[in-house]
Amino acid sequence: MIRQIIAITLKELKVLWQDREALALLFVMPLFFILVMSFALEGVFQAGGKGNPIEILVVHQGAGRLADQAISDLKRTEGLILIERHQGIPLTADQADQWIGKGRYPLALIFPEGYTERILDQLNDPEKGKAVVYLVSEPAMNLQLLASVKGTVQGAIERRALLAGIPQRLIKLLGTSAGSWEQLDTLLGDPKIGGPGASGVDFLHRFPKGFAAGRRPTATEQNVPAYTIFGVFFIVLTLATSFLQEKKDGTFQRILAAPLSKTALLIGKLLPYYLVNLIQVALMFGVGVVAFGMKLGNLPALVIVSLALAAAANGLGLLVASLGKTEAQVNGLSVLLAITLSALGGMMVPTFIMPDLMKTLSLFTPHAWALAGYHDVIIRGLGPQAVLTETAVLLGFASFFFAVALWRFRFDP
Amino acid sequence: MSRSPIIMVEDLWKTYGETDAVQGLSFEIFRGEFFGLLGPNGAGKTTTIGILSGLIEPTRGGVSIGGIDLFSRPREAKAKLGLVPQRFALYPTLSARDNLIFFGRIYGLKAKRLQERIAGVLNIVALTDRADQTVATFSHGMKRRLNIAAGLLHEPEILILDEPTVGVDTQSREAILESIHSLNESGVTVLYTTHRIEEAQRLCGRVAIMDRGKIIALDSPDRLIRESGKGIIRLSFNAAIDEKLMDRMTRFGLLLFVDDQKKRVHIETDHTDQASRELLELMESHAGLLKTLDISEPNLETVFIHLTGRNLRD
Repeated sequence: MIRQIIAITLKELKVLWQDREALALLFVMPLFFILVMSFALEGVFQAGGKGNPIEILVVHQGAGRLADQAISDLKRTEGLILIERHQGIPLTADQADQWIGKGRYPLALIFPEGYTERILDQLNDPEKGKAVVYLVSEPAMNLQLLASVKGTVQGAIERRALLAGIPQRLIKLLGTSAGSWEQLDTLLGDPKIGGPGASGVDFLHRFPKGFAAGRRPTATEQNVPAYTIFGVFFIVLTLATSFLQEKKDGTFQRILAAPLSKTALLIGKLLPYYLVNLIQVALMFGVGVVAFGMKLGNLPALVIVSLALAAAANGLGLLVASLGKTEAQVNGLSVLLAITLSALGGMMVPTFIMPDLMKTLSLFTPHAWALAGYHDVIIRGLGPQAVLTETAVLLGFASFFFAVALWRFRFDP
Repeated sequence: MSRSPIIMVEDLWKTYGETDAVQGLSFEIFRGEFFGLLGPNGAGKTTTIGILSGLIEPTRGGVSIGGIDLFSRPREAKAKLGLVPQRFALYPTLSARDNLIFFGRIYGLKAKRLQERIAGVLNIVALTDRADQTVATFSHGMKRRLNIAAGLLHEPEILILDEPTVGVDTQSREAILESIHSLNESGVTVLYTTHRIEEAQRLCGRVAIMDRGKIIALDSPDRLIRESGKGIIRLSFNAAIDEKLMDRMTRFGLLLFVDDQKKRVHIETDHTDQASRELLELMESHAGLLKTLDISEPNLETVFIHLTGRNLRD
């Protein structure tokens, strides 16, 4: 039986090698995606400099003078453009959330109504809660850029709040707004006045309403695994077409008339495509490492996920082979599944910026679980144990696809 | 030829939905025999071949190959069979040699033995000098020959050929038929399906005539023709013939067929010469009415027409 499996495998590899267009599709397309999309998105992560300022929506209706002062300071800061109005009308918090959520703008600064009064009240009565300012960011925004902008904005706001409180603090402490410079220096050196948290402002970062918090991958970390998974599932078309072609050519008939089991036939036919998938994965990640300096993390964990991913892709390929009776059916079904499952699974747009329903649907794709597995390894630096769940689910998909495929597969000519 | 059966078929049925493609077939093929399966399209020949080569599961019934039950021990039974399907069953992008290497390995051939058998079968089908060319470049006839070569690689005891000369020129067909005949002479049992009467009559020791899933006759071609073969006279007319003329024609034989427009008539007769002479005399009194007159002497096709009332090629 082993010799027969090897014979079928070697024949399949020879036939595959003759079809260079199919091979090109399997390897060149995901490479193309990685190179084009990564280079195209590189510009997004260069935002925040003088030549490429960051736009920040500002909501401050009824927030008072301290908000106006902070905004005025920020307007003079290089690299930031503050947008307070839309068509002459001051922006609202809901507008800001919506636009950030849609990805139209990367950031929004929201001063609540009564912000200034809150700060001044808190000076008089520390028991009263601090004033809260929200910085809303687009989930896919580059982390470093976000940290930089956050620091700048927070600094400007707290400085204005601190400055506003100095006269009252002086009066409280000294009984008068006048005094010696040494007394003033000592006062300002007191951490209760000038230190962190002393401004009376809570500066909070959040995502737009409707999106969960989580670590956002970099462009390379997102693209390479995503388009690799995308490319892996293109094996569905090649594999299914191969079965169809064999049935059309009649070679299937001849093989089945020979003394070999259907199991040997299927294993021999599937093995080359499984190997092609693994080579694809190695090649794509290789490009990520060499061209973009991507770190792969725990290699055994990466291999485990890849083996399960390839099994799922091959299972789906056999399922399409069992369902598609003509070339058109096989082509249509393969491409439809490849594109739809990829889109749903977060290959083109990260799932963390999808609405809740889409996020739920993505869990029904092997793609989402494969990407989660790769992210666990590459972004979170986790090991084999951490990817057991994703691997088990991928193998579950593979088992389901194979089971249905074998139930539907017709060996009869 | 030994009289021990090498293929035994017992009450074989195959139903697709509401259609019985094969209905209760029972027959034996003896070791070394050249056995023909003759019938029109849809008679059930290909389904029968499919079941005997283990490709199709029957609805019920049994098949044994060389004493081995095909369905309980398929791999052992299939090892005795060589299949030459009607379709080419070859990989067009691979060379003839690569095709044979693959199929040989499937049958467990390897190394030196595989190479010897490849050389041997290529010699039998006269394709030795084309061994390293891709099959896609082969002519129709060459593909047919390579198809046969692939079926012979493992030296099967039984060779099943499904319409092996379809679409082939006369010269290639002769070469193919000669090869198969030689194989049979060397002891290989042959199960041969065909549309062509002349092939069945020339090659087959016995012929099973199939129609609508059943065997309607089984014997040597000579005996079938002797017992059931009649001559057929086919007439066509320039105008519709009247009932009176039609009635007069029944004197010469059985009116097998009359078309709707009453312009074509087939008459079955035991005495084609006499009947055709008398028909021509009759038509002299209907000048200009007769268009053509065609005579078929008794053969397997007329046997089929006699048994079913229909042409083999309907």
